[in-house]
Amino acid sequence: MRSMRGEASDEELMLRYGRGDARAFELLYSRHRLPLYRFLLRQLGNAESAEELFQDLWMRVVNSRGRYQPRAKFTSWVYAIAHNRLMDFYRANGRASFLSHEESESVLEDLPAAEIAADLRLDRKRAVKRLLAALGELPDAQREAFLLQQESEMSIDEIAAATGVGPETAKSRLRYAVAKLRARLGKES
Amino acid sequence: MIERRDEELSKIYRDAEEPRPPQRVDDNILAASQRVAGNLRRPATFGFSRRWGTPVAVAATVLVTSTVALMVYELQSGSDAVAPQVPRGGRTAKVSPVEPRADQPRTPPPVVLQPIAPAPPISQALQSERAEQRPGESAASTASAGARQPAFAPEAPRASDVLSKREEVKPAPATAPPAAASERARATQQAPAPDALPASDVQQPIRPAQAPAAAPGASRLRETGLPLQGAGAVTSRLAAPEANERTPEKWLADIRKLKTEGKATDAERELAEFKKRYPDYILPEDLR
Repeated sequence: MRSMRGEASDEELMLRYGRGDARAFELLYSRHRLPLYRFLLRQLGNAESAEELFQDLWMRVVNSRGRYQPRAKFTSWVYAIAHNRLMDFYRANGRASFLSHEESESVLEDLPAAEIAADLRLDRKRAVKRLLAALGELPDAQREAFLLQQESEMSIDEIAAATGVGPETAKSRLRYAVAKLRARLGKES
Repeated sequence: MIERRDEELSKIYRDAEEPRPPQRVDDNILAASQRVAGNLRRPATFGFSRRWGTPVAVAATVLVTSTVALMVYELQSGSDAVAPQVPRGGRTAKVSPVEPRADQPRTPPPVVLQPIAPAPPISQALQSERAEQRPGESAASTASAGARQPAFAPEAPRASDVLSKREEVKPAPATAPPAAASERARATQQAPAPDALPASDVQQPIRPAQAPAAAPGASRLRETGLPLQGAGAVTSRLAAPEANERTPEKWLADIRKLKTEGKATDAERELAEFKKRYPDYILPEDLR
């Protein structure tokens, strides 16, 4: 997309940075800085941990400059790193739920497509507040799938690749997340 | 696989305030990235030295270490030798003649030990013995000794040093050292051809350290008049006791005598016995 607009693609910038172009990294950082930070912050719900992981993530990008091969989109690669750092964090903090929680598609089909309450549609601030609260209550894997879709604009396949699961699992997680969020936003009207 | 986004939820999500990473985190990340990029941009020479510095240093260390180790080894092996080294030019000529025989156990080349055992009294006795030998042979031997001796002359002082140490243990006649010294001095003055030196001729005057013990035996043997060139059985029976009693020079003279009398078999047997008895002895050219 960016290449079509005459801008260097993420992959090209990363390769240029690998050859010593510091400016290329600055461009790359400015493009992905906020989405990645939001992803980590909302996934973890803790600013301190989010900052730590965010910095560590970018340091890994810096240190991988020489080995980077544009086999996949830069976004998929960098969010895969983020996912791996999250997994490490969960393991270190005893949050095994992320690994054990798997959804079945049969259950998924039964979920109702709840409507968002009318008053929330008018009161955006309340809607946002309730959405973020509902997001925090989601299982880690489902929240991650939703955040990846919102922040990185990745497809189901890309989300699956970044999180190391099959596409069906990624799709299932995403559907669960959306259904639960809608249900929370539609309850108290 | 494409999953349509829930646009309604997405709109609400995007309305949320945008948290930003702290400035210090941004600074840290950008500084690190620039530091790394700065390293990448360094001149090619820096990269070359960085890439090859360690291997070159390791190679140089190995080279220097092995060189020093070799030098130390050579120094040690040189100092371990009891006797001084023969000059390189004459070394091969002296060592090569002693070829190991099939029936004889191999011994390491003892060249360096040859010149260190001068026994002046024996040399005097030997010369007197030679005088008793056939005139032609004696003359030839003496002439060749005179001509060749100088090649060993530079070694003589060191050999005498060693000898003097031995003589501290085995006291020799008081007149011996001056006689040997004068003989060596005479040989040095003659000194014509330094490279054509059969070791035995040179060593004869300064050779056997066991001469004082052997000399009486040799004279006793002469008194008994036993024929050295007799039947093979008798010769071999006599060889062992003779080897204990005869001086090497006397023994060689006997062998030479056998050869000149045409008793080549006996001479060879005697020579074999001699080599067994004195494996380190460098034979004169005519007996090799």
